[in-house]
Amino acid sequence: MNTTAFGLLVQILLGIAGGIAVGGGVIALFIVLDMIPRLAQLTRSYHRVHWYEGAMVAGSLLGTVFDFWNWKMSLGAWSGLIVGLFHGIFIGLLAAALTEVLNVLPILAKRLKMIRFLFGLLMAMVTGKVAGSLFDWFVYRK
Amino acid sequence: MSSNSAPTVYLQLRSRVPITQGRVVTLGHVARILSDPEWEGPLRNLELVEPQKWDGNLLLIDLMQIIPKVQELIPGVKIEPIGQNHVLVEVVQNPRKPSLVLFLLVWLLLFFGSALTIMNFHADVNMQEVQIRTVEMLTGKRDEHPYLFQAAYSFGIGFGMVVFFNHLFKKKWNEEPTPLEVEMFLYQENIDQFVVAQEYKKMKSSQNKGESH
Repeated sequence: MNTTAFGLLVQILLGIAGGIAVGGGVIALFIVLDMIPRLAQLTRSYHRVHWYEGAMVAGSLLGTVFDFWNWKMSLGAWSGLIVGLFHGIFIGLLAAALTEVLNVLPILAKRLKMIRFLFGLLMAMVTGKVAGSLFDWFVYRK
Repeated sequence: MSSNSAPTVYLQLRSRVPITQGRVVTLGHVARILSDPEWEGPLRNLELVEPQKWDGNLLLIDLMQIIPKVQELIPGVKIEPIGQNHVLVEVVQNPRKPSLVLFLLVWLLLFFGSALTIMNFHADVNMQEVQIRTVEMLTGKRDEHPYLFQAAYSFGIGFGMVVFFNHLFKKKWNEEPTPLEVEMFLYQENIDQFVVAQEYKKMKSSQNKGESH
């Protein structure tokens, strides 16, 4: 027992402070990028946005706990497929929201007078992301 | 009885109108008009300005320029403006077809740009380690190449982006605009606002010059 009560107190304080900062940052990022409103709009479920908030908080907490205490489940290989798909969709939403915030497509399409091809340009980004990710995992880091 | 001697004209200016080069801008182009039927024809064909080369391809017409012309046409007229008090006239040359080669270049730029960006992102956040760890948590076994997870993840990215931009499901799910459409609109709106402010500035400075001479 070489930790004094004071040392313990400081540890708790630092842990809480760091947790609040990181947790606030994570949620702020998703709020700024409007991902929850977007999903609520698409599924017409504005009245359930509090559940979505809860999902994000619970997910963050569960991920942290699993990671720190090294919890493991013994699910089959199919679990990777499902979680991977959700993970990818989430990253896709994040990437799309980020692109949108940065106004890349409107400016590019207008400067080059290509408003008519907007859908094509959008698909370029989408297929580019998928191809880049596949290349990364299956070729580059084989 | 007095209404006969002083007809009222209601004018509602549009916000942005295109016009082909060489044509004269008439009141009917830039505004919706409500007045006595006998005046509607002449008002619609009332010539405002002829865009000149030095005007550039955007021209601001202010209500203050329109009112004297209308009063010249109908002496003693009462003008009731509704809504905006200026209109942007866009002079368009024969519309050029956007070239397919340019489109292909931009397409490739975005394609490879996106591909490299996602790879950079993976390296930046150490995605591989996180994925290996995630699969370890799920299955209890460590797999240095969780290909199943990674394949699902990769296609998920594409699906997520499409969902965000609401392109494929637009008809099926709802008719609200996509964020991209809103963004394009806001971008245009901002440009218009800027141009209007700029043209007013030009107008003011040229007036000042005229006074000093």
